[in-house]
This record gives sequence, structure tokens and C-alpha cells, in this order.
Amino acid sequence: MTIVELQDVRKVYPLGKVEVEAVKGVSFCIEKGDFVSIAGPSGSGKTTILNMIGCVDRPTKGTVSIAGTPTKDLKDAALTTLRHETLGFIFQSFNLIPVLNVRENIEFPLLLGRERVPKKEREQWIDYLIEEVGLSQWSKHKSNELSGGQRQRVAIARALVTKPEIVLADEPTANLDSHTGEQILELMKKINREMQTTFIFSTHDAKIVGLADHIIRLRDGLIIENVRNGTDAAALCADLAGESVIENSPVQSARS
Amino acid sequence: MEIIKLALRNLARQKKRTFLLGSAIAFGIMIVTVINGFAGAFVDNISENFANLAAGHVFIQGVEKSASGKESDIIRDDALLMQAVKDANIPSKYISKRSSAQASLIFAGHNAQLKVDGVDFSKETFLPERLMFIKGGLEGMKQRDGIIISEPIAKRLNVQPGDRVLVQLRTLTGQQNVGEFSIAGITVDAGIFGSMSGYANKTYMNELLALGPEDYQLLGIYLPSLKGTDAYGKALYEKVKAVAPVFDRDAAKNDQNFIRSFMNQGKTETWTGIKYRVFTLNDMLAQVKQIADALDTASLIILLVLFVIIMVGITNTFRIILYERIREIGTMRSIGMQRGEVRNLFLFEAGFLALGGAVFGLVLAFIVMAAIGGISFSMNSPVFIILKNGHMTFKVDAARMLLNVLIVAALTEFAAFFPSRNAARLDPAVALRTVK
Repeated sequence: MTIVELQDVRKVYPLGKVEVEAVKGVSFCIEKGDFVSIAGPSGSGKTTILNMIGCVDRPTKGTVSIAGTPTKDLKDAALTTLRHETLGFIFQSFNLIPVLNVRENIEFPLLLGRERVPKKEREQWIDYLIEEVGLSQWSKHKSNELSGGQRQRVAIARALVTKPEIVLADEPTANLDSHTGEQILELMKKINREMQTTFIFSTHDAKIVGLADHIIRLRDGLIIENVRNGTDAAALCADLAGESVIENSPVQSARS
Repeated sequence: MEIIKLALRNLARQKKRTFLLGSAIAFGIMIVTVINGFAGAFVDNISENFANLAAGHVFIQGVEKSASGKESDIIRDDALLMQAVKDANIPSKYISKRSSAQASLIFAGHNAQLKVDGVDFSKETFLPERLMFIKGGLEGMKQRDGIIISEPIAKRLNVQPGDRVLVQLRTLTGQQNVGEFSIAGITVDAGIFGSMSGYANKTYMNELLALGPEDYQLLGIYLPSLKGTDAYGKALYEKVKAVAPVFDRDAAKNDQNFIRSFMNQGKTETWTGIKYRVFTLNDMLAQVKQIADALDTASLIILLVLFVIIMVGITNTFRIILYERIREIGTMRSIGMQRGEVRNLFLFEAGFLALGGAVFGLVLAFIVMAAIGGISFSMNSPVFIILKNGHMTFKVDAARMLLNVLIVAALTEFAAFFPSRNAARLDPAVALRTVK
């Protein structure tokens, strides 16, 4: 089942008087429950694509659909609700709220939005997540009292607290040493398997790309490889949108 | 609820900055509350002191005009006026009936001018309570020609209790008259009005003024409190008007200086016999009220000017806060915080800042007022007239205090509104990629 679909997505940023095309027409689909890596060197458009999937940025052209919902015409409030209900975010710099402790940071997304989870249920779920990320002894600590790895664990728990269908992680291991980075990825993978949550992470580290089921490689805003479990994943979108999309896709262009 | 908690924690995050901003708000509130408190008590204290000196809150003055057009102050029909007072249902604390004259006291080549009030000490029990003797006392007033004078007058004349002084004054008909007073007591200087007053026995004053033993010039009704002065004044005016000729209050009411116009009415009117003038302390102190109103207006202007300055500081601080927390805003927006919630978070911070500053300012104001109120001023202080028992007092109106706090809260929210709106409008992607 396709959970994310990008069709001919372009993103142009104004940079002073010139315009920079960060993403030059990208199409791909992501299956529910996959562990997806968007790989590529700096400036290849990884973060821009993640931001567009995460509905924090809008494409200049093309369409992005999340869980079957095209995001193009959604207003800010609806996009925010979609982010809150369907997506979880893990950032390179952790981005925890400094005035809140571990538990409060994890709980925070549950206190937003119109629907409220009953307190008892909420607390049990947070306890479970804290246990799951191995921070039981640190739940009352503020983020400045934690190591980088611990902070990222908090961020993972926070991303999962609303039980989102998709978790987006922008270079989640970039600010961590290699050992901690591996632990974080293992944790993400474990949750991916246990909760069937789709994880989409960006990285420029070739070593960790191999952990993914689905790898989308980018260079200069174009897809140069789109492989899922060893096979070409371009066909995923073909099933949905027809051959014409794939024929015109940058994957084809890059390959030809 | 979470936003409120977050707003409070954010304020606690930069303690020094919060303290400084809160202190600026507190300072503004403190200054304005103290000025309001002063203005509030200003009228009351002046009225109270004036009421003590003039021996009443509501007055009836009798003005007699002879066939030749000569005007003199006199009340001959006491029973008529007392019936009017009774009919007006005035809850009087006591009623004073005084005769008075501007007189010169002469002793051993020294001369002093003062207003001498003829008082019936057997009836005016309140006056002896107020007089603070340095030398001598009420005992001396048992002599029919006894006089109580203030310390500055005594110094000018260089007299002591028991000394006999000459008095020179004009009788009711305008003739020069000379008599003698025996110094019964010397009181502390009761300020600019008190120091120019002396008190003698009414029977002896009436002799000197060529008045009958039961005549007097001014009837003063001392009310239990200032409240109701105007209403009782009006009621008494109607009752006196019903039984005797009176000066028309309505004819002077549109004049900016009512009391001057009212007091001069007799000069232009022609009549014979006695005509009564009913007036109140508020009529005499209308200009004092204008001063108090001006003080109140000034305090409001001070509040606004101070807060325009403070608002610039608040706006700038919130712009800095927005920049400092830009990635945090991006994160909160990413994880599902709506624009309105981001704006409200900042507005709550501003609101708590205003509220905290206002409470701190009010506490400071009450401390300052208590400290100033604790200072005992000398009775000869030039500010005596605005003091109460030698102390500066403050009367803070709760509604005015609340209004000040609301103004401050509204201005603080206004100052924080635009940075808050900018924070809410931030594109989450822009916020997340901003490098500080």
C-alpha cells in the first residue's frame, strides 16, 4: 500500500536575485511500513524532499500525496493537522524543547490538536515509549542534561507518541558518533518492525543506507537510483499513476 | 493548559531579562499608583483640614443690607435657621456658630494681623480636641477676654500666656474699635491657615464687633464625613429658601469660579434686611478638586508615556525572543502546533509578564506609600494642609488600580502582538533551516 507519493515535484528557492532549483522534478512512491533511506551528498535535495513529504514546505510544481491525501491545496491549518496526525519528525539537531523535561517533551504533541488522549492512557503510552527508548531513569531530566544519543532517543519517542503512520528523520545520526548512530538506527529499525511505522530518513552516510528496505539516491535534485528490496522501485508509481509518469520521471532521464 | 505552562517556563528561562522587563512594568505601575493614591487623599485631606479650620462642611452666612446699602455679615434669627437644619435632616456631628473679624494684635510695639473667631467653647467641644497647646491652655479661656493664638503669632508679638495684648478691629458697622485680650494659650503652628487664626470667646468678640450676645455671623454644620456634603448642602438650601430670602445658587452655577461669583452676588443685588447664603466646603474647594483631577489626568498621561517607552522595549525583546527561538517555533509547528497556538504562546508570555509586573508594581507602590505615610511631618510644614495628623496619606481607588493594570496588560499585549503574529506566520521550513 502506497503511503507517500511524489509526482514530478520541483522546488525552487529564491536566493537573492537568482533562483536555485533544489529539486528538479522528482517522482517516487513509498510503501507503508517500509524503512526508507533518501541518500545523497550535501545539496542533493534530501532535506527539501523530506520537508515536502513532511508538509512543512510546499513544492513549486508537482504533487505530494500523504496517506492518499494530496497536500497541494490544503491550507495551513489542515497541513498542520495532517502533520500532527500522520507524521512524526526526528531532526538532525534533535530540536527538543529546552524548558520541558524528557517526559514532557515526549508528551507535548499529544497535548496539541483538538482530540485529547485520556490522561491514564496517555501516561501508560508515554511510559511504554520511554521504556522502549531506554530513558526510564532520565524522564525528569531536561534536554541539556542528556547526551546527544539520549536526546535523539527522546526525539524518536516524541515522533512516535501520536502513533503516526510515517516518521521522517532528517540525518538522524549526523550529530552522533558512529556507535551511537548505529544504536539509534537499530532502535528506529526495531520500532519500524514492531509498530509497522514507515520510516523515511535522509543520510549522506553510505554505511547506514544499507539498513533500508527502500533506497532513493539523489544527486543535484534528481533521483539517480530508486531501489526497493533489490528491485527497481519506479514500478511502484507506475501501478498508481500510469506509465506516462514514469517515462517522464527524472529516474528515466538520469538513466538514459 | 500546556501553552500556559510553556509560557511560564519560557519566562523563567531568561530570568534576568524577564526581571528587567517586569521591573520596567512594575515601575510604571508603581509611579502611577502612588500618584493616584496621593491625588485620592489630596482632596479628602484638604477638605478635612479645611473643614476643621472653617468648623463645618455646610455653611449658612447671613448678610444684612441697610437702607443706605451698607452690607454686613450677621445672623440674628438663630431659631429659623436651626429649624431649617432640622427639616433638612442633616446628620450633623456638631454645629458651630461663630463671629469673626480680621484683627490687629499689638504688644510692646509689635503688631500681627490675624483672623479672630469668636467661639462658644461650651458648645464647640470638637475644637478643643484639635488644638495642641505649647503653652497655656483652655483654662485661660475662662476669662471672658481670653484668646488662643498660634506659635508664629506669639513669636511675632513676643508674648507669653497671661500677657495682655491690644486688639484693633472694625465693628459690624465699620467703626474702628479697640479692646484687650489676655493670652490664654499658644498652639503649635497649624499650617498656613491655622497660623493666621486665633480663637476668642464669642460673647467678648460680639461685644467688640457690636453684635448682640446671641448673634453670630456664620453657622457651620460639621458632618460625620465628607460624603453627602453636596446633597446636604442642597437640601439645606431648599429649606432655608422656603422660609427666608437666599442668594440664588443657580444664578452662579455656570460660573467657572462659582464661589467667587456666589460670594459677590450681594454687591450687585439690592435688598434690605437679612439674606442668607448657603454654601458647602466643596464649593470653596472646587479648585482643589480641579487640581486633583489634573493630577489624575497627569498620572494617566505619565502611565501612557512610560508605557510607550516600555512598549518599544517589549516589542524589541519579543523580536529578539522570536529570533532566539526560531528553530523551536519551526519544531513546534512541525509537530502539529497551529499558528494561533504559537501566537497565543507569545501573547501568554506577554500577559504573564504584564500581570507579574503589575502585581510587583502594586506591592512596591503600597510599600512606598506606607514608607512615605510613616514619615511624620512637622506641623509647621508648608504641606500641612494636605496632611492628615501630620502624615501624608494615600487613598487608592480599586477601580482605578484595576483600570491601570488593564491598560498596562492591553499595552503589553499590543507591544507583543506583532512579534507574536510574525512568529505564528513563520514558514516552518524557513524556521527549521535558519542558522543563528
